[in-house]
Amino acid sequence: MNHQAIQDKSWDVVIVGAGVCGALLAKHLTHAGLRVLVLEAGPDTASPFDGYLDHLEHFYTAASKGIGAPWPPAVSAPQPDTADIRTGGGYFVQNGPDKHASTYSRLLGGSTLHWLGVCLRMLPEDFELRSRYGRGHDWPLDYADLEPYYERAEWELGVSADVADQAHLGIEFPQGYEYPMRRVPLSYSDQVLAEAVDGMLVTVGDDLVALKVRSYPAARNSIPREGYRPAGAVDRRSDGQVVTRYTGQRCAGNTSCTPICPVEAKYHAGKSLEQADRRYLEVTAQAVASKIHVDPVSGMVQGIEYQRYTERTSPRHTVHTVRARAYVLAAHAVENAKLMLMSGLGGENSLVGKGLIDHPALYGWGLAPVPVGAYRGPLSTAGIEDLRGGPFRAEHAAFRFDIGNDGWRATTGAPDTTVTDAVQRQGLYGKELRGHLQSTLPRHVRVSIAVEQLRSADNSVSIDPRYLDPLGNPRPVISYRIDDYTLAGMATAAEVCRQVLRRASVEDHTNPEDGSWYPEVRYDGQVFRYHGMGHFAGTHVMGRHARESVVDAGQRSWEHRNLYLVGGGSFPTMGTSNPTLTMAALTLRTADLMIAGLAC
Amino acid sequence: MSRDERGVPVTSPSGPGAATDKRADLFLRLSELLTGFGGIDLLGTGLAGSYLRVVDDILPPGVLDELLAAFARLPAGLDRGAAVKTTILANRKLGPVARNVILMWYRGTWTRLPDEWRSAYGTSPLDTDHVVSAEAYRSGLQWVAAGAHPAGALQQGYGAWASAPNEPARSPAANAPPTPPLIPTAGQGAHK
Repeated sequence: MNHQAIQDKSWDVVIVGAGVCGALLAKHLTHAGLRVLVLEAGPDTASPFDGYLDHLEHFYTAASKGIGAPWPPAVSAPQPDTADIRTGGGYFVQNGPDKHASTYSRLLGGSTLHWLGVCLRMLPEDFELRSRYGRGHDWPLDYADLEPYYERAEWELGVSADVADQAHLGIEFPQGYEYPMRRVPLSYSDQVLAEAVDGMLVTVGDDLVALKVRSYPAARNSIPREGYRPAGAVDRRSDGQVVTRYTGQRCAGNTSCTPICPVEAKYHAGKSLEQADRRYLEVTAQAVASKIHVDPVSGMVQGIEYQRYTERTSPRHTVHTVRARAYVLAAHAVENAKLMLMSGLGGENSLVGKGLIDHPALYGWGLAPVPVGAYRGPLSTAGIEDLRGGPFRAEHAAFRFDIGNDGWRATTGAPDTTVTDAVQRQGLYGKELRGHLQSTLPRHVRVSIAVEQLRSADNSVSIDPRYLDPLGNPRPVISYRIDDYTLAGMATAAEVCRQVLRRASVEDHTNPEDGSWYPEVRYDGQVFRYHGMGHFAGTHVMGRHARESVVDAGQRSWEHRNLYLVGGGSFPTMGTSNPTLTMAALTLRTADLMIAGLAC
Repeated sequence: MSRDERGVPVTSPSGPGAATDKRADLFLRLSELLTGFGGIDLLGTGLAGSYLRVVDDILPPGVLDELLAAFARLPAGLDRGAAVKTTILANRKLGPVARNVILMWYRGTWTRLPDEWRSAYGTSPLDTDHVVSAEAYRSGLQWVAAGAHPAGALQQGYGAWASAPNEPARSPAANAPPTPPLIPTAGQGAHK
């Protein structure tokens, strides 16, 4: 459809953003017969499988194999990049005092193209943090409200897990519920650690907590249970699907969930778009939403303006406006806030953009006493979840351990750096070099510890006319501080990490001076290097009242009743769960509300 | 196909192109000594020719031939491994090049030569840190040494990660105890 036709058409719903939330909405709204237009700022290069393989090739040949390596942005839809965190350049304007250490991608499929796939539900207590522990905020809905949508989200994304592993810390499942696929097998390294760690006691706050290495739910295709068919690789092209339908229907252990699963065995938003009723769906890539037009009296949205570019290497573009009965911003926690602010819609309470959170995370790494088979399997398959909840949250942040199967790749850049060190510093070569690598690399162990962060008005996304991108749109200005609540959580997390490694007889090599560069924070005489988990949230918070929130429990804007802002931005708290599953559950709930509202 | 003294196939027919093949052969045998991997493993990557070209393209003329000539002059037999250290790796000019060859085989990446080397022996715009090719990345010996596979390629299959890693091949440098002799146990009937 050309852009004149798109402009002239009367849509039921215009969705900004083709990531997980936009795609799930598009799927369900079209199945309800609603005519949906999706505007995606980035290119659609990954939907044909050969295009996806080009991204894979980018990864193979990239000198630095970070999260963005396979996914270079278009000039007109720039995105944050981890390399910029150190240099201070790039898309984000980092206003400090601390660096926001996360990134996301702007292309069709969004950041689900390079997520890890972890699908933990939030704990019941995460929704009532204020009531239970006097910290943070309560949600306008609780775990029981969201439980049915968690189930649906798990079947939409295709989550592999066993209920028996997940029913803990207050998480309950209805009798007879099953995840769509069996749990992903634990790695050998998980098994070795579990043998040493399971049952060990640690003191946190006033509590003695027993630890356990636990399989976590992941949106990676495993062995399906009855009634579920795994969704494999997408191959959308004008001449029909070419790639075999079996590709990606089972995880093959590529040890590359991030930054790219070579076979698409891990969920990405393109899969949900494929499942939409295409008769009612129009998806337009390379269309950057740039202004929301609002009726000054009623507050209702009257249209969304977008900039359409044809060349990925040039900012040349044309401007169009589309109209619909309802509008959804599903562009990302940062992009949603940015678009509202650049449209002059900061809200009467000025809450849009305020309260940005992430999971600042620490690494621990070491050398196991025996080969544990590092560098094999999904990037991680288990975690230690026991410190995600508990009374200590009145004092400091909760945290969760993710146990890696990728050796020291993230922490030091191994195996490359191990080889370089052996050759250039130790002077090894020949059989001695080979023997050294054989005896060390398979023993590499790492954990990543994501620490909870609470919303604070000091942490925000804002805009400043001095900082513009090539299309002339504002770049996000990020103000970010890691407060004492989170820092105290980091201190405890680091101590527990030392105890866990010691217990498993893993020689502790955690030394940020030797590792890859990450930003630092100081607390109580200690220095912590933290990395971002890409878990942006809190920028258009939901609440019970218009005065204290941007959207209601249905993610509907209080001030603009035909506008929905969906995704992590709506979270009042994030606990320690990776946010995608909760974003999906909330979005499915919003889809139901929208269908009920628009059908009449 | 001819074979060298240890039975490794040598790709050096006589006739036209023999000089080129001789160079390729020397490069391969030098690479064996430097990496600790046999010629079959190295040839199996299909990259020996590309790596030779990369080195030729980046180094100033004559440097690689100097390296190959130094290698050809090394004493045969067991002393060779030690001689490569004193003659080549400790050499100011040849050492950094030889170490780069090792890194290239293990990582699939060319590493920028040290500044000191560049100012002494010449620079090239191609002398940057870069992955030689997607194939080179996938064929890095580091993944073999790790008993693993390159991240994002040559996957081991569903569930393989749950199994114990393969015991690495014994190597004198690994300080591993010698493999105990197989002692037939009664009842197995393997030996009479």
